[in-house]
Amino acid sequence: MNSIGGQASEQPASVVSRLWSIRLDKASLIQGIAAVAVVIFAVSTPGFLSATSIRSLLTTVSFVGCVAVGMTFITLSGNIMSFSIGASMSATTIVFMVSVVLGLVPALILAFLFCAALNGIQGWLIGVFRANPLIISMAAYSMIIGSAIYITGGRGVYPLTNKANILTANIGPLPGPLAAFLFVAIVGQLILSFTRFGRNIYLVGANPRAAKASGLEPWRTVLWAYVAAGLCTAVSAVLVAARYRSGDMEHGIGYEYHAISAVLVGGTAIQGGAGSVIRTLVGTVFIALMQGLLILRGFGIEMQYLLIGLIVLAAVMLQWKGRT
Amino acid sequence: MTSAGLAMHAVPENQRTESAACAGLSASFFPGSPILSVRDLSKSFGAVNALKHLNADFYSGEIQAICGENGAGKSTLVKILAGVDRPDTGTTCFDGKVCTLSSSKEAQRLGIAMVAQELSVCPDLSVLDNIWLGSMDVPFLPRRKDLRRRAAEALSLLGAEHIALNATVGQLTIGERQLVEIARMLTRNARVFILDEPTATLSDNEIDRIFVALARIKRQGRSVIYITHRLAEVFRICDSVTVLRNGEMVGVSRTADIDRKKLIEMMLGRPFIEMYPEHGYTEGEPILRIDGLCVPGAVRDFSAVVPRGDIVCIAGQVGSGAESVVRTVAGLVYNATGSVRVNGNPMRLGSAEEACQHNIHFVSGDRAEEGIFSSLSVTDNLVATRLRALSRFGFLNPKSLQAEALRLAGWAGVDQRRLRARADDLSGGNQQKLAFGRCLGGTQAGVLVLIEPTRGIDIGARAEIYQLMRGLCAEGYGLLVASTDLEEVIGLADAIITMYRSRQVGSYRGKAINMQDIMADITHPLK
Ligand SMILES: Nc1ncnc2c1ncn2[C@@H]1O[C@H](COP(=O)(O)OP(=O)(O)OP(=O)(O)O)[C@@H](O)[C@H]1O
Ligand SMILES: [Mg+2]
Repeated sequence: MNSIGGQASEQPASVVSRLWSIRLDKASLIQGIAAVAVVIFAVSTPGFLSATSIRSLLTTVSFVGCVAVGMTFITLSGNIMSFSIGASMSATTIVFMVSVVLGLVPALILAFLFCAALNGIQGWLIGVFRANPLIISMAAYSMIIGSAIYITGGRGVYPLTNKANILTANIGPLPGPLAAFLFVAIVGQLILSFTRFGRNIYLVGANPRAAKASGLEPWRTVLWAYVAAGLCTAVSAVLVAARYRSGDMEHGIGYEYHAISAVLVGGTAIQGGAGSVIRTLVGTVFIALMQGLLILRGFGIEMQYLLIGLIVLAAVMLQWKGRT
Repeated sequence: MTSAGLAMHAVPENQRTESAACAGLSASFFPGSPILSVRDLSKSFGAVNALKHLNADFYSGEIQAICGENGAGKSTLVKILAGVDRPDTGTTCFDGKVCTLSSSKEAQRLGIAMVAQELSVCPDLSVLDNIWLGSMDVPFLPRRKDLRRRAAEALSLLGAEHIALNATVGQLTIGERQLVEIARMLTRNARVFILDEPTATLSDNEIDRIFVALARIKRQGRSVIYITHRLAEVFRICDSVTVLRNGEMVGVSRTADIDRKKLIEMMLGRPFIEMYPEHGYTEGEPILRIDGLCVPGAVRDFSAVVPRGDIVCIAGQVGSGAESVVRTVAGLVYNATGSVRVNGNPMRLGSAEEACQHNIHFVSGDRAEEGIFSSLSVTDNLVATRLRALSRFGFLNPKSLQAEALRLAGWAGVDQRRLRARADDLSGGNQQKLAFGRCLGGTQAGVLVLIEPTRGIDIGARAEIYQLMRGLCAEGYGLLVASTDLEEVIGLADAIITMYRSRQVGSYRGKAINMQDIMADITHPLK
C-alpha cells in the first residue's frame, strides 16, 4: 500500500480550486495566456473602453450567458449539448408575450414552467430511454419550430401592454440583464458546488454506470439537469422579450450555438463530469469580447463566425490534449 | 499500516545485502545475455515517483514474474517497455542494443507485445477486428481468410473457440474480452510478451489454457513477462520473480529458490502474518433472504439466507450466474423475478436506489466501468454514496465532505494525502480500495454485496480488505460475495453456495466446507 504515510498533510481542497479544477496543466496555462492577450487587445483597441461599447457588450454577454449556464448543466451531466435550446427560448418569448396581458407575475410563471417543461421532457426521454441527446434535441428543435409556426402563423407577438417594461430597468448601477445573468451564474455555481443535486450531476456525467451502482437514478439527475437548463433559458427568454417588446421565433436563433461555444471555450469537459459555471462565464465573456473587438476594428460578421469557430476548435483540441 | 513504513527503515542493511546478493547471483543464474534490459530507469507522475533508478533484465526462454504491492510501479515499468509511456531518465536495451521505445509501434517493430492491465478492446468492433487492431503485420490489402485463420488459431490456443470471430466485442463478458486481448497478443510475432494481470477476470479453466499457451511461447525460446497478484501462479509457471516495492527493485530470484512466505516478505518489506481472518460463525438472525430468484438467461431459482455477521460466498466459474445474483440484490438487474427481503422487509427488484434505501451497498468487480468515477477526485469518489447522509435539505457542507473523505480513506487504506488526485491516477489496486471505501461508513449496519472483491489487489491490501470485511461482520453487517477465486472463497466464507450454469448446486457451512466438493460442484454439475 502506498497509503503508508500516516498523517494527512493536505488541507481540504479550497473552493476556488474546485471551481477551476480540471487540472492545472498546459491547457489552463494556454487559457490564461489567451485571456491576458484578449484583455491587452481590448484595452489597446480605440473606442473599446467607452461606456456604450461596454454596455452593449455586457448585454450580449448576459443574454447568451444565461443560456450558457443552462447548457453547462446539460454538458456536465454527460449529455454534450442541446440543439433545441435556442428554439425553446424563442418559443418561451412567445408564451411570455402572449400571457403578459394577464399580468407580469403570471406571465413569468408561465414562461418558466413552459421552458422547464419543454427541456424537462427532453431530459426525461434522454434519461429514461438513454436516447442520444443530440438526436433528441434535434428532433425537439424541429418540433418546437414546427408547432410554434403552426400556432402563430409565423408572426411575432406584439402585446399592447408595457407590463414587461420593468424587466428592462436597471438594478442600481447594473443593467437589468447583467444583474439577472450574475444572479443565474452565482446560483448555478452554488447549486453545482454545494447541493446534492449538483454533486449528482458530476457523478452521473463522469460515469453513469458507477452512479447507478452507487444507488443514484441517473435518469432523474439528467431530467433535473434539463429542467435547470430550461429555467436558465427562460431567464434569457423573458429578458429578450421585454427588451424587444415582442415574442418571436427569431429571438433565440443562434443561442444554442453561442451557448455551447461558451461552455467549450470555458473548458468544461465535453464528455461530462468536469467543469463549472464559472468556466462558462469566462468563456462567454471571452467570446463576447472577441466579437466586440472585431466589430470595433471593422471586421464583418463573417470574420466573427470564423474566429469563434477557430476558438471553439482550439478549446476542444486543448481538452483532447488534456486527456492523454 | 504504519508498521510497514517503520520496518522499511529499520532493515536497510539487510535489504541492501539481499539485493546485492541477487545481482551477483543473477549472472550465474541466467545463461546468455538478456533480451531486454533497463538501466537507471526513473519515471514520476507529478509528485509521485513511480519508478526510481530501476535496473532490470529479462531473458529469452523464460517466464518472468514481476510482483509487488499495488502502486509498486509494475504497470509503469511494463508500459515503458511496451512504448506506451516514456521514462524520465534511463536507458532500455533490446537484444544488446540501446533503443528508444518511443511509441508502441516502435516496440511492436522490435518485437514486444503487451496485454495491458486495463482492457483496451473496442467494444463496437468485431472480435476479428479487435485481434488485428493496430497490428503492423496486416498488409495494406489484407487477405481476410488468412487473418481469420490466424485469429481463430490464437483463440483456440486459449481454448476460446466458443468466441465467434464475427461477434461484437461489446457483447462479450469481461473474461471473454480479456481472452480476445490475449489472443491479440499471441497473433503478434513478438519476442517478448508482456501480460499485466491477465488472469484477474478469468476462470480457472481459462487460466489453465493461458498457461499452456505461455509455456508454448517459452519453449519457442521467447520471453514472457508476467505480472500477477496471485502468488500461486508465480510458483506454478514462472521461472524467476522480480520484486518491486515503491518503485524500487527489491530483488530477483529463481522461483525454485524462494518460498511463498519469503516472497511475500520481499513484497511487503515486513513479515506477513495471516491472510484470512478468523471465521465468525455467528449465525445471527437473517439480514438478507433471497427466495426463488430468477434472471432470464442467467439465474434459475436461487435461494439463500445471509445472517448478520456472516460472509456468504457464491462460488462459480465466470458465467455461472453468481454475479447476476449479486447484481440483482444490488438492484441492477431490471428483469429479475423472485423475492428479496432485507430484515424481513420485501424489496422491489430492479432499482438501485431502492436497494440503497434498504441499506444494501454494492462493490462492483468491474472497476473502470462501474466501480469508480475515473475522472473525478478521490474525495468525490469516496463520498459519492454518502451525499444523502451528509446533506441537509439537499445542501452539502464541504467541510464535512472533506472530513468524511478523510475518514473513509483512512478506513479503506487509500493514501490520505492523495484525496485530490484524479481516481484514475491511482494504481489499479488503490482504485479498488476506493470503490470499496465508498460503500462503507454508514451509521447503520446493512448488507454489503460484492463481486470479486479483491480482483487485482495485492496480497497485503487483500489481507487488509479481508480484515475490513470481518470488521464489518462484527458491526453486524451481512456480506454476500460472488467470487471465482476458490482460494479466497474457502479462506473467507462462513457459508458457501456453489453455482454451475445458472443453477444453484450445493451449499456448505462451517466445518463442511472443503475444496474438493466445491471444485466438483462448480466444474461438474451433479447429475
Ligand atoms: N497517469 C498517472 N498519473 C499519476 N500517477 C500515476 C499514473 N499512473 C500511475 N501513477 C502512480 O504511480 C504509481 C505506480 O503505479 P502502477 O500503476 O505502476 O502500480 P502497479 O504496481 O501496477 O499497481 P497495481 O498492482 O495496483 O496495478 C502509483 O502510485 C500510481 O498512483
Ligand atoms: Mg498495475
